[in-house]
Amino acid sequence: MRISTRGQYSLEALLYLALLGEGESASTRTIAGATGISEGYLEQLLIPLKKAGIVRGIRGARGGNLPGKPLADITVGEILRTVEGSFAPVPCLEAAVSCEAAASCGANRCPAQDSCIARTAWTDLYQEINDTIESITLADLAAGYTAKALTGGGSSL
Amino acid sequence: MKISTRGRYGVRLLIDLAEHPKEDRVALAVIAERQRISVRYLEQVAVILRRAGFIRSVKGASGGFALALPPTEIIIGDALRTLEGDVLVADPAPAGIRESPYRECVRSMVYDRLNERIAGLVDRMTLASLVERASSLDRASSGDTAGEDGEDGETPPTGTSARTDESFMYFI
Repeated sequence: MRISTRGQYSLEALLYLALLGEGESASTRTIAGATGISEGYLEQLLIPLKKAGIVRGIRGARGGNLPGKPLADITVGEILRTVEGSFAPVPCLEAAVSCEAAASCGANRCPAQDSCIARTAWTDLYQEINDTIESITLADLAAGYTAKALTGGGSSL
Repeated sequence: MKISTRGRYGVRLLIDLAEHPKEDRVALAVIAERQRISVRYLEQVAVILRRAGFIRSVKGASGGFALALPPTEIIIGDALRTLEGDVLVADPAPAGIRESPYRECVRSMVYDRLNERIAGLVDRMTLASLVERASSLDRASSGDTAGEDGEDGETPPTGTSARTDESFMYFI
């Protein structure tokens, strides 16, 4: 039940951007250097994140990347959904959530799904995961990072 | 964040056995047909569940499988850990390697919290609670279709009463 590498790296890169000062931006190379993510991989990740408005890119010699919205408006859930697609734990929930039309026209629809007891368990699980990641914003992550740095909680800080 | 086919099919095998408590053993072919899962795949999953002590095999000409424990004692979290290896959203921090402070922060604020919430949920869920909830939903929907005459809702329609009694027995 892993969050993909894409998802994990995106969260780390966004946390880096969230810690930038007012009016600052960071080049892909700078983010890569700080987080240990390869520059090529990071460039690929930034494409969907920019498209979704989570990251804003500024062109030009002094350009770079910065968060595309207020930090409190960017949830961990939004970041993960953008780079991973649906994180429904089972395919039958994915179809129902991502496209109601597909469910009613029969695509990806399990013939037993209405009476499937296991599906009620997966629905609860999906709900729990959703609630958790939607309740954490980039502002929370940045505040947590800063608090930890101030108290010296992190050995590597 | 996917549950593997093994995890999904394993849980359905357990549910199928719990849903049919009057059958003291069930052949995998029967479960395969009821659950629309291939027998061959079900066999692999059954071996794992049997070794871990969730089900037992009944030998003989009309052999099959039965739950090795009452459904109240089968915790879905335990079954999933057996089938999936674990129910974690990220690998634990590697020993002896210092992670970037960004990864450390995301780990403690996102992965650890998710792991805790997921474990809390699946460890509260038992095979009995799942099956009981499904049969109470059945009762509720049967009540809806009973129309204006069935307003007292005290007596379940005869069609579902047998099933109701069976699931009630888990709690005795």
